[in-house]
Amino acid sequence: MTTLLELRGVSVSFDGFLALNDLNLSLQPGELRAVIGPNGAGKTTFLDVITGKVRPTQGDVFFRGRSLVGTSEHRIARLGIGRKFQTPRVYQNLTARRNLELAVSHRSPFDLLFRGLDGSSQDRVAHLLKVVGLAPQAQQLAGGLSHGQKQWLEIAMLLAQDPDLLLVDEPVAGLSDEETERTGELLRSLAGDHTLLVIEHDMEFIRNLDSSVTVLHEGHVLCEGSMEAVQSDPRVIEVYLGVEDDLEPGIAPPSSFPDRPSSELQP
Amino acid sequence: MPVSATPPAFVRRWWPWILIVAATLILPVILPPFRLNLLGRFLSLGIVALGVDLIWGYTGLLSLGQGIFFALGGYALGMHLSLNSLEPGQLPEFFGLYGVNSLPAFWQPFSSPLFTLVAIWVIPALVAGILGFLVFRNRIKGVYFSILTQAALLVFFNFFNGQQKLINGTNGLKTDTAKVFGELVGSDAMQRNLFWLTVLLVIAAFLLCRWLTSGRFGDALVAIRDDEPRMRFTGYNPTAYKTLVFTVAGALAGISGALYTVQSGIISPQFMAVPFSIEMVIWVAVGGRGTLLGAVLGAVLINYAKSLISEQLPETWLFVQGALFLLVVTALPDGLVGWWRQGGPGQILAMFGWPPRSATYPGLDLDPSMLAEREALEGPSSPDSGTGGGR
Repeated sequence: MTTLLELRGVSVSFDGFLALNDLNLSLQPGELRAVIGPNGAGKTTFLDVITGKVRPTQGDVFFRGRSLVGTSEHRIARLGIGRKFQTPRVYQNLTARRNLELAVSHRSPFDLLFRGLDGSSQDRVAHLLKVVGLAPQAQQLAGGLSHGQKQWLEIAMLLAQDPDLLLVDEPVAGLSDEETERTGELLRSLAGDHTLLVIEHDMEFIRNLDSSVTVLHEGHVLCEGSMEAVQSDPRVIEVYLGVEDDLEPGIAPPSSFPDRPSSELQP
Repeated sequence: MPVSATPPAFVRRWWPWILIVAATLILPVILPPFRLNLLGRFLSLGIVALGVDLIWGYTGLLSLGQGIFFALGGYALGMHLSLNSLEPGQLPEFFGLYGVNSLPAFWQPFSSPLFTLVAIWVIPALVAGILGFLVFRNRIKGVYFSILTQAALLVFFNFFNGQQKLINGTNGLKTDTAKVFGELVGSDAMQRNLFWLTVLLVIAAFLLCRWLTSGRFGDALVAIRDDEPRMRFTGYNPTAYKTLVFTVAGALAGISGALYTVQSGIISPQFMAVPFSIEMVIWVAVGGRGTLLGAVLGAVLINYAKSLISEQLPETWLFVQGALFLLVVTALPDGLVGWWRQGGPGQILAMFGWPPRSATYPGLDLDPSMLAEREALEGPSSPDSGTGGGR
C-alpha cells in the first residue's frame, strides 16, 4: 500500500447543495500538497470529511487502505491524522505549556488522572515551545497570546500530536511576512517524515512551498500539478478571475495570483 | 513594615485550614443546637455544589437536574433509617396506611447498613452515569442538555410523588425518630456528630474535586468546556470525560442528599422540585464558577442568608436571591471568590480613599509604568496575579 490518503468519488450534500462533488484525490507518504480554490470551493468541507466531522453522502475515504467513513473524530485523530483549524483554536484558559501537554500524549481520562507526563513527553513539549518561539510565554494563558503566537501554538499542538498526516488550514492567515516565511520553512522541513496537506489563500506562500498544487472548484478537483502549470491553466484563471473575455483589453493575463482572498476578486 | 505584622510562614501557608479546624471545634460549643444544625445542613449542600461546579464551572455542563441524585442519596439513607429501628417482622408505619403487608423487594437490601453506605453514592452515580452516557454520546449539549436534565428531574419528581405504596409518595420518609447506635437521629448529640461528619466529608469532597481539576485531567475538562470539537480532533473522546465527571457529580450529590436528609429529619420528593436544583446553580454562580471554594462558600452563605432573612422578612427572600443572581451575572461574572482573587476588595477600599497596601517599600509594584512592564512580561490575565489589593 503506497497511498497514504485516498478520497474516491466523495460527494457531500447539505440539503441538496453539493459542497463536494465527486472529489478524487490521493496523497503519497511524505508528500507536501497545497490545496487552493476560491471561497466556497469546499476546502474546509474536504478537511471535515477526512477528519470525520462530516460524513460523505457518497464515496469513500481511505487512510492507509482503511476506510474512515463512520469512524468518530477522536479515533481518526488517533490513527494519525492531525488538523489545524482556519482560525487558531487553542484552549484560551490554559497556559501555552498546558495546551501542548494536552496534545502530546495519553488520551484516556485514567491516563490523565493517574499517570503523569513522562520525561520524553515533557522534553517534547519544551522542545516544541522552543521551535515555535513560545518558551518565554509558556506560562501565559493562551487567550492572551497575539494572533501570530496562537497560530504558532496551534501548529505546535499539531506537531505534539505527532500525526502522520497533517491537515493545515490557512496556517499563515493574519501572520506578518517574516512569520509567514518561518511557517513555510517549518512546513517544508516536516515534509518527508510527515505527509502534509496545506490549504492556503496566500499564493506567494504556496509558491514558496514548492509543492504540487490541487485546485478545488465547486467541490471538484479542477486540476493538479506544479504551481506554474496550475497558474497557466485557463480554467484556473477563469474560476479565480472570471472569464478571460471579461478582462479589459490591454491588461495582460495575470502572471501570478493575488495575495488576497479570492472572494474580493470574484465577479 | 513592622516585622510583627507578618505572621509566621506556617500560618500564612495553612491559614484556611487552621481557620476551618478552629471553626469546626469551636462552633459546636458556641452555636445553639438549632444554628449548628442549620450550618451542618448548609455545609452538606456545599458537597452537591462542588459537583455542580465540577460539571458546570469546569466542564461547561449546566445541569438543572442535580436534585435527582441528591434525592436518591437521601432516599437510600431514609429507607435504611425507616427499617433500622424496627422489630423483626414489623413494617415502616406508612405502609399500613396503603394496605401494604409485606416489604417491597427493593427495600430489602436497605436493611443492611453496609449496603446503604454504598448505595448512597453508587445508586446516584449509576443513574448519572447512564443518563450522562446516553446524553453525551448523542452530543446533546448547551441549553438542550439543561432542558433535558430538567425534564429528567420532573420525571423523577412525579414518579416519586405518585408512589405512595412504595416510598410514601409526597409525604416522604422521616428520619428523626430512627435510632442509630441506640441514639435518636434527631437528638442534639447525634446532630453534633453529624455536623463533624459533614465537615469531614465536605473537606474530602473538596480535596477530591481539587485533585480532579488541578492536573491534566482538569485541563482536559476546561478544554472540553472551551472547545470540545478541538478536543475530538486532538484524539480525545469528550464523551468519556463528561460521563465520568457527571458520574462523580452524581455521587457527590447523593452523599450531600444523605447528609442533608439526616440533618433536616425528612426526605421527600420536594428535594427533586425544580427550583431547588436551580438554586444549586445559583449558589455556584454567586460563590464563583470554576473555583471550588466558591461552590462551598456560595452554598453556605446563600442558605444562611436565606434562613436569616426568611426568619425576619419571610416574603423577601426570593427578591434577594434574584437580586444576587442578577448582581453576579452583570457585575461579578466570576462570583465572590473570583472577585476576591482579582483584587475586588482593594478596589472597593480604594474607592473610599484607602490606598492599596504595597509589598515593596516605595510602592514600586504599584507604579503605573512598572505595572505596565509587569503586564507585558507576565501577560494581561494570568489568573493568580491580582494587582496587590487582594492580599
